[in-house]
Amino acid sequence: MKFLKRFFVRLASLIGARREDQRFMEEIEEHIALQTKENLRAGLPENEARRQAVIKFGAVGALREDYHAEQGLPLIENLLQDLRFALRQMRKSPGFTLLTALILTLGIGINTAIFSLVYHVLLEPLPFPQPSQLYAVWARSDVDGNPRIASSGPDFLDYQDQNKSFSKIAVIIPHFSNTWTGDGDPKVLDCTGVSADFFSVLGIRPYMGRFYTPQEYEELNNPAMLVSYRFWKSELGGDPHVIGRVLQIGGSASTIVGVVPPLPDLFPYTEVWPTLPTRPGWDFMQWRKNKFLTVMGRLKPGVTPARAQDELTAVLRRAPGEPEDVRVRLIPLKEDLVGSVRAQLKIILAAVALVLLVACINVAALLLARSARRSVEMAVRLSLGASLKRLRQQLLTEGLVLTLVACSPGVFAAWLALKLLPQLTALRLPRLEGIHLNSAALLVTAGIAVLTTLLFGWAPSLMFSRPALESSLRSGRASTGKRHRRSFSTLIVAEIACSVVLSICAALVLKSYWRVAHVDSGFEPEHMITAYLRTTYFTPEGRSFWSDVLEGVGSLPGVRAVALADCTPGRAAAIATLVLTDHPKDANHAAPAEGCWTSPDFFRVSGTRLIRGRFFDPNDSADSSPVVIINEQAARRYWPGQDPIGKRIAINYTGAGRTGTSTPRFRAIVGVVQGMKYGPPESETEPAVYMPYLQDETYHDMAAMSLFVRTEGDAPALDHAIRQRIHSIRPEQPVDMILSMQEIVSNSIAQRRYSLSLLAAFAVLALLLAAVGIYGIVSWTTLQRTREFGIRIAVGATRGNVMADVFGQGLRLALIGTAIGVGASMLTTRALGQLLFGVSPLDLTSFCSSVILLGLISVFSCVIPALRSAYLDPVRALRSE
Amino acid sequence: MKQKTDVLQGTLALMVLKTLEVLGPLHGYGIARRIEQISGDLLAVNQGTLYPVLLRLEQEGAIASVWGASENNRRARFYSLTRSGQKLLQAETRGWEQTATIIARFFAVKAEDLT
Repeated sequence: MKFLKRFFVRLASLIGARREDQRFMEEIEEHIALQTKENLRAGLPENEARRQAVIKFGAVGALREDYHAEQGLPLIENLLQDLRFALRQMRKSPGFTLLTALILTLGIGINTAIFSLVYHVLLEPLPFPQPSQLYAVWARSDVDGNPRIASSGPDFLDYQDQNKSFSKIAVIIPHFSNTWTGDGDPKVLDCTGVSADFFSVLGIRPYMGRFYTPQEYEELNNPAMLVSYRFWKSELGGDPHVIGRVLQIGGSASTIVGVVPPLPDLFPYTEVWPTLPTRPGWDFMQWRKNKFLTVMGRLKPGVTPARAQDELTAVLRRAPGEPEDVRVRLIPLKEDLVGSVRAQLKIILAAVALVLLVACINVAALLLARSARRSVEMAVRLSLGASLKRLRQQLLTEGLVLTLVACSPGVFAAWLALKLLPQLTALRLPRLEGIHLNSAALLVTAGIAVLTTLLFGWAPSLMFSRPALESSLRSGRASTGKRHRRSFSTLIVAEIACSVVLSICAALVLKSYWRVAHVDSGFEPEHMITAYLRTTYFTPEGRSFWSDVLEGVGSLPGVRAVALADCTPGRAAAIATLVLTDHPKDANHAAPAEGCWTSPDFFRVSGTRLIRGRFFDPNDSADSSPVVIINEQAARRYWPGQDPIGKRIAINYTGAGRTGTSTPRFRAIVGVVQGMKYGPPESETEPAVYMPYLQDETYHDMAAMSLFVRTEGDAPALDHAIRQRIHSIRPEQPVDMILSMQEIVSNSIAQRRYSLSLLAAFAVLALLLAAVGIYGIVSWTTLQRTREFGIRIAVGATRGNVMADVFGQGLRLALIGTAIGVGASMLTTRALGQLLFGVSPLDLTSFCSSVILLGLISVFSCVIPALRSAYLDPVRALRSE
Repeated sequence: MKQKTDVLQGTLALMVLKTLEVLGPLHGYGIARRIEQISGDLLAVNQGTLYPVLLRLEQEGAIASVWGASENNRRARFYSLTRSGQKLLQAETRGWEQTATIIARFFAVKAEDLT
């Protein structure tokens, strides 16, 4: 209580300090006057009386200090004083302040942004009740060589009926498309099909309206429909009376019964949530081998995933035709979403941490240099009686102020970066929506700030000790000595080593990117456009539409050739299994292949080379004998060393929307073509089969085809003409995703490009910082040696000698740093993993180019200080002190 | 050394309080004179040290001060004991006497008394 009271009285007097001081002075004056009078009375002469009075009172100055200390709050006062001083210092050397602030802003800003991103994507729990109970169900089989096998309809029903581990389990088709017609321009919608328990697995409630009733889940053509929050907001204008509205989806009327709340983590782009009936289901849901469905469930409380995994494995092994080593894998739902990007994000995080390290080292070195320059000032203050503690406190305050100044723009920069990140949909990162500057990231930033402050607030101050004082004062200049220079050099060497590691990593990834960009994917993306045509009418009579499209678009000016296919090179193809007549039937070794229905000109449009046999021609029609073209990979795998032409195979498709045929239809192989990639260029080229779409007995081609147009001149100009031509054939036909094939290829390597640009940016930053560091140390030490150089030039050293000396110093540091960096890189580049493609982790050219780059940078950073000392005027140099 | 100053500060405060209790309101010089008279050389050299103590006591509310006229007929600060100062003095006095008694008893003890 008393303490508090005193504190407030003191705080108050802190503000009115001057008045109190006046009062004290007045009291002293009076005191001395009275004492003088007393002394006079005692018979002392007037001068002596006053002198004795003053002596008796004691040292007024010291007392005044005491009084002051008693009166105010010295800690706060000192702090304010230090703050004022620090700000004045910063104003006095704006260049230094700006540079450190810039370095710290970059370091802290980038770190906060990347940490927030990684935290959000990898660590933040899914926003559902008890998210740790949510698991995705996959299977793996080493015999099949497939670590990630999806489920079929019957698999799911077995799991659902026989498990005791899950409180709820659901099956979904994550993505398929459907048309929306009758409201303005026809559109293609992103759909996610869900079975009965999906929403209760997640534990979410409708945003508006209701979810489906159990009856609706069982209807094959359920007229009720749920739309996503995103679709409701953007396409339906957030209409509050949307419940009950009827939309034409896939050509039939669907009534909106509810709005699903946003699920940015799982399905950010889904627009419509149709039901996926499991019992009874569609044909494609009833084939045991049609494994394309995603199963997810919520474990009962207290059930371990290992137990559930064993239980489901037992269930799956009872099913017919499974490989004997098949095992169910339960993957935490969050892991299932982000597992694929974890390694990559960790690399980025490590790189950014290195950048921060380099930034901190740099700032520490800058401050070290400055404090060395200020050692005279410190020596004078120490000898005038300032306590070491007081000086350290002041330096700490300076460091803190600088950190604060550097932190706030850093946090702002991070915030800005996070605002911009979700716009880059090409990143293909899961959970990109809803990223925010989270408190953990802020805490880490604060931690970094404090650490940095400690680093440079304290490290320099520890160098002042009383014995060093004397020499500082005597020489009258910033004396630093060997110890200083060594700690300095260590910092710079560490900095160079870090930037070498970063630049080697960037060089390796850059070379990988170049390799990827120059892979022959089996098609020529230049002057080729594609569009996605999802049809509304799912009837065989609709097939004439395709020939109309081929004819209509083919007659447009500027079009050289046109084709249709239900696969898209560089992006996607359906998976089929082959039935081979001349191979033994082996249920455990399915013969997988990518399958694609095409129009006759497909290979001529894509630019794929024919290796044997022939392409399709217009004679391969619905009535002629069925034919198939395979790629070289299929030929090599299934008929090694033989001529596959004339062999007969049948195709079993997997996937949604197929109409089943009871007996496989065998077709003769008429041609072998060059392999084409349906994924990013770094993916393997898989065996593939191509068939004329007119011979599609499953009628799947009626659902959707992609249009491919090879153009003569400028591709984009044709977008509008193609859309118009298709609408003139069928007005309600949506024409989606008109893209050039180059865009598709570019999108498929976007993530790689993004990682590369981040790494490259970090490496450039680190190299720049290293350059500043080298420049700083070299020019600082040459400044120290001005006198020495002056003497040497005066006694006849050539400018060359001096320059060589300066260069030698800088380059020696660069050499040591580079050697350490190269060593560290040799140990760490393996961790780049998937980012490397066609490049060894110890790739010589990448290592060499980075080392040469660093060598050049260090030479350049030494040029100015070297010239400065070489063209020193010896007379002025000697007088300079 | 430091300890000694602390003790001095504590006793000085107590002396100030006692002086004010006995003599009523006084200015700084008056207090210093009085303490000097009684304690001998305690304040013979550093009379000024009194003032930080006075400030401290005032901040704690043990004494109050007003401007008044000195013997010189000039402005001087007059200090007086407050009610809480009174209580503080009593408590301190008791504590001090206790301590003094105990210490005195210790000094009185001879080696043979402890056997």
